[in-house]
Parts: sequence; structure tokens; C-alpha cells
Amino acid sequence: MSNNSTFSSPAFAKRLARRHAAERRFKLIGLGAIVLSLAFLALLLFIMMHNGLGGLNWNFLSGSDSTDPHTAGIWSAAKGSILTMLVTLLLSFPMGVLAAIYLEEFAPRSRWIELVEVSINNLAAVPSIIFGLLGLAVFINTLNLPRSSPLVGGLTLALMTMPVIVISGRNAIKAVPPSIRDAALAVGASKVQAVFHHVLPLALPGILTGTIIGMARALGETAPLLMIGMRAFIVTPPGGVTDPSSVLPMQIFLWSDEIDKAFVQNTSAAIIVLLVFLLVMNGLAIYLRNKFEVRW
Amino acid sequence: MILSGVLLAVIGLGLVGWFAARGRARLLYTGRGSMHSMPGYHGWHMALWILVPALLAWSAWSMIMPGLVDGAVMADPAAVQLPAGDMHRAAVLADARNLAANPDAVAFDPLAEELAKPMRAAQGRFSAIGALLVLIVALAGGGYGFTRVRAGFPARTHVERAILALLLIASLMAILTTFGIVASLLFEAGLFFKDVSPIAFLTGTHWAPGNARGVDIDGNFGAVPLFWGTIYIGAIIAMIVAIPLGLMSAIYLTQYASSTIRKWVKPILEILAGIPTVVYGYFAALTVAPLIRDTAASLGVANPSTESALAAGLVMGVMIIPFVSSMADDALAAVPRAMSDGSLALGATRSETIKKVLLPAALPGIVAGVMLAISRAIGETMIVVMAAGASARLSANPLASMTTVTYQIVQMLTGDQEFNSPKTLSAFALGLVLFIVTLILNIIALRVVKRFREAYE
Amino acid sequence: MTETKLTARNVDVYYGPKKAIDNVSIDIDNGIVTAFIGPSGCGKSTFLRSLNRMNDTIAGARVTGEILLDGEDIYAPSMDPVALRARVGMVFQKPNPFPKTIYENIAYGPRIHGLASSKAEMDAVIESSLTKAGLWDEVKDRLSDAGTALSGGQQQRLCIARAIAVSPEVILMDEPCSALDPIATAKIEELIDELKENYAIVIVTHSMQQAARVSQRTAFFHLGNLVEYGETSEIFTNPREEKTKDYITGRYG
Repeated sequence: MSNNSTFSSPAFAKRLARRHAAERRFKLIGLGAIVLSLAFLALLLFIMMHNGLGGLNWNFLSGSDSTDPHTAGIWSAAKGSILTMLVTLLLSFPMGVLAAIYLEEFAPRSRWIELVEVSINNLAAVPSIIFGLLGLAVFINTLNLPRSSPLVGGLTLALMTMPVIVISGRNAIKAVPPSIRDAALAVGASKVQAVFHHVLPLALPGILTGTIIGMARALGETAPLLMIGMRAFIVTPPGGVTDPSSVLPMQIFLWSDEIDKAFVQNTSAAIIVLLVFLLVMNGLAIYLRNKFEVRW
Repeated sequence: MILSGVLLAVIGLGLVGWFAARGRARLLYTGRGSMHSMPGYHGWHMALWILVPALLAWSAWSMIMPGLVDGAVMADPAAVQLPAGDMHRAAVLADARNLAANPDAVAFDPLAEELAKPMRAAQGRFSAIGALLVLIVALAGGGYGFTRVRAGFPARTHVERAILALLLIASLMAILTTFGIVASLLFEAGLFFKDVSPIAFLTGTHWAPGNARGVDIDGNFGAVPLFWGTIYIGAIIAMIVAIPLGLMSAIYLTQYASSTIRKWVKPILEILAGIPTVVYGYFAALTVAPLIRDTAASLGVANPSTESALAAGLVMGVMIIPFVSSMADDALAAVPRAMSDGSLALGATRSETIKKVLLPAALPGIVAGVMLAISRAIGETMIVVMAAGASARLSANPLASMTTVTYQIVQMLTGDQEFNSPKTLSAFALGLVLFIVTLILNIIALRVVKRFREAYE
Repeated sequence: MTETKLTARNVDVYYGPKKAIDNVSIDIDNGIVTAFIGPSGCGKSTFLRSLNRMNDTIAGARVTGEILLDGEDIYAPSMDPVALRARVGMVFQKPNPFPKTIYENIAYGPRIHGLASSKAEMDAVIESSLTKAGLWDEVKDRLSDAGTALSGGQQQRLCIARAIAVSPEVILMDEPCSALDPIATAKIEELIDELKENYAIVIVTHSMQQAARVSQRTAFFHLGNLVEYGETSEIFTNPREEKTKDYITGRYG
């Protein structure tokens, strides 16, 4: 029974109490960290609501930029965002999906493919402003595409979004079990048919989730678009993808620089609009993920 | 424009070709095994033969046409008055091009107005030639494709080969983008380093591109204060905020929280990660920076500036919290449960298990996550543009206004630019440095993460 | 002779709504080896994990009834699971040394419980634990090597040494040899036989031969129930229950 006395000695009990106090302290710090992070988010949202909700009305939603804060609206910037996102989606989605299919299903193990993989993983982590420099140097200075246009903005953001889509696409394709491919091949489908008829439809929800998240990121981007001059003062909504245009986050940035205090309301209201857009997109992504997530 | 119209025509031709070839293949079909490929594949094979060559011809023509048009316009008598300077001449020509496309537009230069007419004529002429060329190519391709519709022709194999080629091209885009980034940064930075010595740029401590004229140009392009500002804000202040908060959040969520709390808090943290940086920047400028300034003033600091490294770094840190938290979450989850079971079974408390067993075991993953977080923070632009300030200074005072690499890139490329001046080009040199540093951080981090995961698999 | 160390009375264990152990009562004695046998999924490991409250770490797990250690209810609010686990050690199915040195693996337990007050004392604990686990001669010259660098059998003996180092009164072993080759298994069995003098040892095993070789008492579990419990020699030669007989003669399992 000597053991029992070790563990029931007063010294051991005292030490145990100290250890439990440390345990509670540690747990409390963890809880504090989360509460602090969430409090920051709440504060940010509260301040934007407080400043901006009053400015949200039909004139604001349908108007264009103006030097007068009371008539300024966000429709021209929103339309610019829509056009830019359209270009981005049309380019990055097919490219990203096709690249993901190739890398996951067809690529031979070679030096080249390894290089492709490394560059995709790195591109996903390259600062966005670098893509802006690329867009400026290539699309504007070399290819002479129209400056400040949704076309160039969309192209630039597409290059940035594509790696995100490729990575999520590969994960979604990888999650489809090999037995599905085998089943298709066993009834005489070619490899291409097996992939396009069976694997791709099953992987699609996962790919879409990744695409929406990538698009949401692109929608919130400002820095690369600054590089390609999408900071023009736009009073008429752009008519097409080659017209000079602004985008929502850029409008926020431009208004935030205004001296007139009345623009604080506009800026905050525009932020609310942008956040609502992003919330809807992310909500959709989470919904898709939960609804179609299949555990094989 | 004719050239856009012809695109539609080509697509229409492709459609027609698809139906024609499929129809003909169906006529040839006499029963099971009578043909190598199903009729649909013959349709696709034909459509590809119409579309691919024609689209290639179309893009080739679109690329060479502006040169041909400009050449024709230069041959016009009115063009003799064109200025000799390349830049100016290009501007006038662009103006004329704009006028030609949109007759209601206002010309900035009377000469452009004069050139608009020959411009329009030349454009019309060359567009017509191009359209004809594209149509001929499409028809020729279609004709060839149609002759291939035969019972024994392996149309499916050919179509699948084309699909594979398309897939390969798509995946090469990533390399092309990387190459494009490296090439454009190197090229433009190369122009910059013709004027400014790289050593002066990388080691100089005085940054004042506005004063850079003539002989003392080297002395005004010392980027060390920018590097310092970037590191101080992104790798020091932001990390002091993000690492403890992110790590402790991940620990609480994975080790203590009930599954209900986890289910709610994780998506909320993802929202925090999804807020655009311009919103954080505005929040920093509108709320956090004045708060810090007023607090500093009330503590007796003389003339605190509104823009401060602390405000930018603090908000950037908050922005990075979800990122650090999710990386730490992954790293902790990768440690086998047997590790913590072993420790708990010895009578260790949760926190002792976390501190002495889990964290050391997850350390490589966490360190890699922090490296990726730093790489994000130093590449972050909008927060520093809106809250950090423009003064390039070497100071450890968090209340001082401080500038960063990304801030200066934006500064050099927006507003009044003189193109190809060292001032503008310096943005690319800074971009090159930023790219190399983030690349190194990313490669090391990704490699560490990979090895770490393999160790526990 | 022997004295009762652990007593379970009407113990039920639930995982969420699912009942994994149904009304088990058993006495486990000091100084002998008790084996839990039964087909996989019969709840023997679950029951073992409730003896040192390791089930607390599984979300949704719940234990009712009472389990007494030296007459003290281990699920009483006054019982600290941390202190309990220092008294009831555990060895797992797969060797799970910490990614630390051999020395640090063993020093970890005594250090958190404050069982050694000097470096010399710690060294002594390490040496005696490793000696008792039969590992000292193999590793004494490389105590600063990683514990994970040892062979599977050595790792498992390291884990046993790690458990011994906190001087527990009971050692629970959850299929300790299932990941090991026959030679390593023989060594561990030999070790268990030596250790039983000083501890109450409970071993869960899927191998009837192993139970017959190392244990003095055997409990047969089936579908969450304790079917039969008695002297090992009795159980294997003359089982009272039909189910036990079917199992040990290999009709199912």
C-alpha cells in the first residue's frame, strides 16, 4: 500500500490542486481567444451597420458615383463588379476544372507535371498585388487591352482564381472512389468517357463549392485592380466589358479617401452591400458542401 | 464589326457541320459493330475541324491586324504631321482608333480627327480580308472533316485526343501564369536596375523616389525602410496578435469545445477570413487608428499620428487569425489520438497533454502555418494603404506612421505616372522582391507540411 | 493470498444512445493477471477503458453503476480522474511512444506528478522502470535516442516502462501484443508474468492462447455482457456456460 500513500499525501494533493488551477486557466485563455476574435468581428459589423444602414436606400443602390455624397450610388460599381466576375468565371471555371481533371486523372508522373503542381500550389499563395503587376505588364502594356476595363480586371482575377479552383477541383475528384471509374471502364467506356460521364458529375458539387469560394475572394479583391487602373471616377455604368469601370471594393476604397464626412455613410453602406453579397455566396458554398457531401 | 460577326458565322458553321457529319454517320450505321465510333463522335470530329483552325486563324489575324491598320494609316498623307516621338504618336493613334470605333467621341487632338477617316477605312478593309480568310479556313477544315466520316474511321479516338490536348493546355496555364509573373517582373525590374544599382536598392536606407533626379538617383531608392516597415507590420505586430489568438482558438475548438460550439464557431471564423481586405482597411482607418491615436495622446505621447504601424498591424493580425487557426487545427488533427491518449492515461491533465505532447508533435505543421501566414501578411496591401501611412522610416515605434513594400507599389503605379520612369519601374523591382520572399516562404512551408503529414500517416 | 483491488457493480456503458456494456459486475484481485476475452465488438475494451475513466475523453460516452478502487468509487465527484489515472495505468493496442527521447518518454509521467525531486532521483526512476520492463540493457546507452526509433516490441515495452514509472497500482493492457510479432509477443508475456507480483494487471486479448498463457483469471464477454468469470484453468477446461464453450472451441469469434 505504499503507492496509495504517495498519491494521497498532502504534497501530492497540493500539487494536484495547482495543476487543476493551471488547467482551468489554460482553458479560459482558449475561450478568451475565441471570444476576442468574435468580438472583433461583431464590433466591425456593428460599426459598419451603425454608420451605413441609414444610407441604404433605392437611390443609393441604383445611382452612380458622384462628387456629392447625397446623390452618389453604387450601381455603376456593382455593374462593373458583375461584368468583371462574369469574365473571371467564364475563364477560370472551365480552365480550372479541365486542369484539375487532367492533373488528377490523366497526367503522367513526370518532371513537367510536378512543375505544374508546384506552380499551382504557389500561385494560390502569391500576394494578389503581384497578379495586378502581371495584369499591368501583360494585358495593358503588352497586349494593349483597354485600361480600367472589366475585361482586364476579369482576366487578372481569373489568373488569381484559377489555382483555387484547380486545388478544390482536384480534392473533389480525388474523393470519388476508384470503384466508380472501374465500373464505367468495365462496361466498355473509354477513360475519357468514364471521367466525363461518371467522375465529373459526382465531383461537381465539390468543385462548385471551391469555385464559389474563389469567386467570393475575387469579388472582394482591390489591390490587383488598383494596378490596372480600375480606380476611375465612373458616373455612368459600364455598357460592356471593354468600357472603363469600377468595382464595389474599389468604390469603397475611393469613398474612404474622401474628405467629406458624409462619405462615411456611403462607404459603410457599400461595405454592407459587399458583405451581403459575400455572405450569400459563402452561404451557398456551405449549403452545397453540406447538401452534396457524400462520405464514400 | 465584321470580324466579330465572322466568329458567330464560324460557330454556326460548326453547328451545321456537327449535324451534317452525325447525319451522314447515321446513314452509314447498319447495326451493332458496323462502325468504329458512334455518330455523335463523328459530329464532334467534324465540328472540331471547322472550329479549331478557323479560331486559330481568327486570333492570329486579330493580333496582326492593328499593325497592318497602323501601317496603312501612316501611309495616308495626313499622317506626315504625326509627331516623331513614339509615345506621343501612339497616343494620337489610339485616339484616332477610339474615334473610328465611336464617331461621337471627342478627340483630344485635331490630328486624330483627321486620321479617324483613313483609320476607319483601313479597319474596314482589313476586317473584310480577315473575315474572308477565316471563312475559307473554316470551310476547308469542314470539307476535310466531312471526307473522314467513314464506317471504319476512329472518330472517338481523335475527339478524345483533342479533349486530352485541351486538358493539357488548361493545366499548362498555371505554368504560363508563373512564367508570366516572373518574366514581367524580371523585365520591368531589369529596366529599373539599369538606372539604379541593385545594391543601393537593397541596402540603401533613404527612400524618396520623388526627389530622384540625375546623379543622386541611387541615394533616393534605398528600400530598406520599406522592408523594415513590411516586416514590422506584417511579420511582427500582426503575428503578435494572430499567433496566440489563432493558436489558442484552434486549441480550444479542437480540444475543449463541444461539437455544437465547434459547428457554430468554425463557420463564423470562416466569415472573418472571408471579409475583403478593403473592409478591414476601412475599419482600421475609421475606428482603430483614431482609437490608438487618442489612447496614445491621453497617455502623454506628443503628436501621435493618425496612421500608425500599430493600427495596420493590429487589424492585419485579426485578419490572419482564422488562417492561423485553421492551419493549427489541421496540424493538431494530424497528431494521432494515441498520443494524447497515452498522455492522459498517465494522469496528465488536458492542458499538460496539449502543452507537452500535442504542441511539440504538431510543431512543424504549426510553424509552416505561421510561415504561410507571414507570407500573407507581408503581401497584404489594402490595410497598409489605408492605415499605415506613406513615411519610409526605420523606427521601432509602433505609433509611428510607416510604409511597406505593397504600399509603395500602389503609390508608384497610381496617380500621375510617367511611364518607364525609374519611379514607376521601382514598383516592379519591389514586386520582384515581394514575389521572391513569399515564394521562398511558401515553398519551405508547403514542404514542411507535406513531410509532417507523411510522418503521421 | 490475493485481495480485491477493483470492484465493478452493475456497470453500464453507453456511447450516445447505444449501450455498449450491460450490467457488468466483477472483482479484480491484486497480484494476479486477469484476462478479458470475447469476440471483437463484445465491449471488453470499452469496459477496460471505463476502469481508468479513459472513456471520459470520448464525446457522448457515459458510465453508470459503480466501480470501486480500494473501496473508493472512481466515478464519485470527489474522485479526480487525473489522480486516478496515475494509480491505474494503461498500455494501448498500438505502441504509442511520444515523439521524444526514450528518457523523456519515461520522465514525462513522474515529472507531471512531481514524483522525483532531483535529477539523480529521476535517473533512478528511469533505470528501475526500464529494468522492470526488461528494456534497460537494450537502451541504456541510447537514452537520448527518439522513442519512435525503437522496434515495435521495444516501443511497447517502453510504453509499459512509461506506465510503471508513475508507480501505478493497476495496469490495464488493451491488446498489447496485437501489433507485434511472435517473438516480441513472447517477451511481453514474460514481462507481464514478472510484473503481476506487484500490480493488479488486467489484459484484454483476442487470443485465447494468450489468455491461457498469462492470466490466472479470465472473464468472457459477449455482446456487452459478462458471460462467465472464473479461474483461467476452469474456464478453458470446464466452462459452465454453453456460449463460453462455443467460443473457446472456436465455433464463433
